Amino acid sequence: MFNQIRLILRYGHAIRNIAVRDLKVRYSNSVLGIVWSFFNPLLMTLVYTVVFTFMLRDLGIPKYPVFILAGLLPWNFFNLATLGAITVVTANGHLIGRLYFPREILPIAIVVSNAINFLIALVLLFAFVVIYRIPLTLYVLWLPVLIVIQIALSIGIGLFLSAIHVFFRDTQQIMEVLLLAWFFVTPILYPLERIREVTRPFVLLLNPLAALIVNYRQILYVGAPPNLGVLAATFVEALLALIVGFFIFRRLSHAFAEEL
Amino acid sequence: MSALIRFDHVSKKYNLHADRPRAFTQAFVRLMRGQWRTAGDEFWALSDVCFEIPEGQMVGILGPNGSGKTTALKLMSNIIRPTRGRVHVGASVAGLIGLGAGFHPDLTGRDNIYLNGSLLGLTRREVDRRFDEIVEFAELGDFIHVQLRRYSTGMQVRLGFAVAVSVDAQIVLADEVLAVGDEAFQRKCLDRIRELRATGRTIVFVSHDVVTVELMCDRVLVFSSGQLVEDGPPAQAVQHYHSLMAAHG
Repeated sequence: MFNQIRLILRYGHAIRNIAVRDLKVRYSNSVLGIVWSFFNPLLMTLVYTVVFTFMLRDLGIPKYPVFILAGLLPWNFFNLATLGAITVVTANGHLIGRLYFPREILPIAIVVSNAINFLIALVLLFAFVVIYRIPLTLYVLWLPVLIVIQIALSIGIGLFLSAIHVFFRDTQQIMEVLLLAWFFVTPILYPLERIREVTRPFVLLLNPLAALIVNYRQILYVGAPPNLGVLAATFVEALLALIVGFFIFRRLSHAFAEEL
Repeated sequence: MSALIRFDHVSKKYNLHADRPRAFTQAFVRLMRGQWRTAGDEFWALSDVCFEIPEGQMVGILGPNGSGKTTALKLMSNIIRPTRGRVHVGASVAGLIGLGAGFHPDLTGRDNIYLNGSLLGLTRREVDRRFDEIVEFAELGDFIHVQLRRYSTGMQVRLGFAVAVSVDAQIVLADEVLAVGDEAFQRKCLDRIRELRATGRTIVFVSHDVVTVELMCDRVLVFSSGQLVEDGPPAQAVQHYHSLMAAHG
């Protein structure tokens, strides 16, 4: 296991190159591409704000754009990283059949490129934080911790799903539906408080994305310390996902070259 | 001399399983109908192959199409694993297996060199250092800034070969590198292979070009239907190969 991790780290340069390639392809028109990183969440914020503060009866959520961005950006990161990772192994079959390299670097690179995209989009969130005069507290320093936990979680899930997709090619379609459901059971469009009180602990414990978003909101929207108990649970879950993901990927990756 | 590459009763089975469910939905339907178990076709690409290659030797591999040559190379480079037996490889491997060697059509030649180099385990600085040499060897000139999809087959093979031989691996695998590329480039490749050989690299050379194999290799393995049928000096092995081809008619 540790040998494997060392090997993957040795391929850090390759992870970077694949991540850059992924970003380049996404931003094929480089100038407009970076703009899209802002523009897409900006437009979505506009849509959600109009729907949830004008069209629907007011939910009574102040500073709605900050509220929605603090949930939407982490979700977009998770959603895009997962969907991208699922197909990355099959899409690079030509590399796998011809070169030996630790196959783990493919889904890892996709998570990395989406993390970079997320960091860029966070600038937009901070802009809204300033515009709405939400006091920036020192609790913001927890942000890197949350991001690292989310990256670990995404890599774990990405490793697992990308390996499964090699053998069952409808994993992508199934996950698209599941991720849509996951989006709605996660307090992104609505605050955690709208969830029935009896269900809340289960949501926080069983849905690491809900737990992460609650804490993103704590530090960026409320300006309060994160819920450390929830954070600790998420950390354990992410670590578990990472270990299980690695283990299953490792077992299945020996057969990749033959399946692709 | 110690064996750098050792095949110890190596067999490789491919499951052709044309029938295996390839999607969850398909698997579900099968399960409902109680047809889970499917008779899969098996194909033994290699069966019970044993050989050793000592350091510094240049070994040719001959054999008809589908005889297991590329499977043997893939086992050496750890792309696939043996079904039975053990493959021991005692040093770093670089090689060109099949055309294209894992390039991305949407990226420029330059980006592909960096991507490919990094996948072969080179750091950025190591690629930097080799970059000019690779471009020069591949004779790409200004095409280095062009997307790979616009390259001719010959250009792609040249680039692949140039990157593969620049890696400084102890073991160099070459699969049909001479099949494409004009005569001038073939000569250049052979010169490069001779150079590598002179510096003590271990080379495994797969080709249908019998004359070149006989001329350049210290020793030749002949495969037929997944079995190693000959392992000896080039002249003898080539004769065996010819008789094999004659029998195939």
